[in-house]
Amino acid sequence: MSGGANKMAKEKKLPLENLLVIAANIIMFAIVYFMLSASEMVSLIIIAAVIVGLLLADKQGYINWLFALFIRHKKVAFISAMLCIIALPLLLATERYIAHIACMAVIYAMVCLGLNFQMGSTDMVNFAPAAFMGIGAYTMAVFTVNMGVSPWLGFLSAIVFSCIAGILIGLPTLRTKGYYLSLVTMALQLAFTQLIKNIPYLGGPNGISGVKSLNIGEFFFYKSYTVFGVKLAPQIPLLFLCLFILVLMVYIAMRVYVSRWGLSLNNIAQDEVAADCLGVNCNRQKLFAFVIGSIFCGIGGALYGGLASFVGPTDFTFARSLIFICMVILGGMDNPIGTVVGALLLTVIMEKVRSFADYGQIIYAVILVTVLIVRPAGLVPKRVRDYCSLFKGKLQRSGKKNEAAAKTE
Amino acid sequence: MSLFLDLIVSAILLGCTYTLVAVGFSLFFGVMDVVVFCCGDIAIFGTFVILGTYTIMQGTGMIGSWPLIFIILALLIIGAACCAALGLFAHRVSIKPFEKSSALMPLLSTIALGTVIKEVIGLFFMPVTNGLSGVFAGENAVTVVSGRNPQGFPQLLSINGNTDVRNIIIIAVTVGILLALFIFLNKTKTGLSMQAISQNKELATMTGINVSRSVVSTFVIGGIILAIGGFLLGNYQTVMSFDNGAMFGVKGFSAAVVGGLRNTWGAIIGGMLLAFVETFIAGYISNGAAYASIVAFVVVVGFIIFKPEGVIGEKTVEKV
Repeated sequence: MSGGANKMAKEKKLPLENLLVIAANIIMFAIVYFMLSASEMVSLIIIAAVIVGLLLADKQGYINWLFALFIRHKKVAFISAMLCIIALPLLLATERYIAHIACMAVIYAMVCLGLNFQMGSTDMVNFAPAAFMGIGAYTMAVFTVNMGVSPWLGFLSAIVFSCIAGILIGLPTLRTKGYYLSLVTMALQLAFTQLIKNIPYLGGPNGISGVKSLNIGEFFFYKSYTVFGVKLAPQIPLLFLCLFILVLMVYIAMRVYVSRWGLSLNNIAQDEVAADCLGVNCNRQKLFAFVIGSIFCGIGGALYGGLASFVGPTDFTFARSLIFICMVILGGMDNPIGTVVGALLLTVIMEKVRSFADYGQIIYAVILVTVLIVRPAGLVPKRVRDYCSLFKGKLQRSGKKNEAAAKTE
Repeated sequence: MSLFLDLIVSAILLGCTYTLVAVGFSLFFGVMDVVVFCCGDIAIFGTFVILGTYTIMQGTGMIGSWPLIFIILALLIIGAACCAALGLFAHRVSIKPFEKSSALMPLLSTIALGTVIKEVIGLFFMPVTNGLSGVFAGENAVTVVSGRNPQGFPQLLSINGNTDVRNIIIIAVTVGILLALFIFLNKTKTGLSMQAISQNKELATMTGINVSRSVVSTFVIGGIILAIGGFLLGNYQTVMSFDNGAMFGVKGFSAAVVGGLRNTWGAIIGGMLLAFVETFIAGYISNGAAYASIVAFVVVVGFIIFKPEGVIGEKTVEKV
């Protein structure tokens, strides 16, 4: 009986909740749009408001409520979010610089999602996300400029090479943990920068310019098109592509998080010995975290090469890796949505304070220390896996079956 | 043959500077059980404090009139005091808040603090001679352009451009400091209590050792050692840049790991090994200088994978 009443109430609430989901999506999208397009001061004020708002909302439990709402109305949430995401590039259509920032934010978000598998889920602090990104970008550059083949081949080989790099770096780390693991990745990052600076084939310190972006036949992803008499910024098609890939990555990351594999990664993070005792294949899981993370970073790097049409050693330094770590920690470890939020906020902050570029590193470092001290969980902390509702649903279903069986009898 | 001898000398000199930083790392790790990653930046901070003080002293005309040994001592004392203060600040800001959280948190926060120190040096090591030219215009003032450009370090230890004296002093000072540290750790009460904390913190607390005071003294001593290391590095390299710290710190950390993180004396072996590998590759392979640090890192990674307890460290087995 109570189940039926519950269902009635749910149906009554349904349109209201649907509207709420749509409104939430539109509000979030509007905030992102204004943050990107407003002038320096206004946008910084919006960012500050977003940070304070997120902190307050989390204290009151609104974020979890919102997550639950979105999960309850998956279809509506997904469709409205997709519409917003499609509308965003169209609104930015004529503004080249802002479209560029948006592209950068999306690419950084990809790299941060990759880093999140290692740092957030498995608690292995990888200090080399920029190196993995650089492997992707340089592969793209070598294939399109030095060898002159199709960018798609470059893109695919970027995935393959970053995957191989992930395995190569992942294998030695199976034997190490904690500080030693961090030192291995740090050494890799510093060696990578030194290496690309000193290989003439990769352009040395000058890098490689003229990197081509992806294209489908005569349609180029980095080209200015005129649609209905409006001249679009050249980044717009690429922005669509990046957003599409980002949505796919967030989806994969969320599926991994709720899956058995994601759970085992968390298990390793909390206690590796215990995980081993419980029958988790630690080596395989750690390698998985490294490989999927480096593939995400490599894809981000390949797209970055196409966007900037230039790759150089200065783009993939230790400082850049630190920025990615900062993004993940600010946004919230082990939460794909939080990671994307962190990447977006920090990229916009960085671009808006470009006039004091000298202070950029200090700003990042101070944000990192402050977040670590004040709120180590990040702006959007990691969600507790909700197995209760899963079991409840099963119980209800089995209860209904029993009821039905009783009725037929 | 002479190339070989030259290489050995320069490897030992480089090894001395690495050793001092590595000793700093292992001191901190022993007592605090955390990796204080801004060691390199603290050392470079000391270098730049000494450089700035020297510039001001030159402006006031002290350099020519006072005996050289007094000036060097004064510079060292000022640099060591600043580094010790910075070490305490680092402990306060980036280690103490994370005593109860995961061990990787202080690693991240000290790296961030190191970045802040580095950038502050880059920003605020501003033209002293240009800005205050009326008061401080010396005869042959070091022209400081901006903190972001490489700075020429005053060659106080080499007399008339002869670097032999400098080399002997660098080696002698390093050996002296290590001896002093050895005596301090083994003969004084503070040193013994530091060792006790390093071996078993809980037991040390129970026997009545004041842990927080020992931690403070560790940071003061570490700061002094790092400042002297920075001074020697400045004399050896002759040109310093504000961002030398990160690389210097990673090398020092690598040396400490190769020697076994907990072991202060292993740091000497680690520093020397790293320096010898780097110097000989740079010397014997054409264009090897570019790849020297890469090979050094490969050596370190090899050590981490196959012998993570270090050259003379003890193997630890994890028990449930």
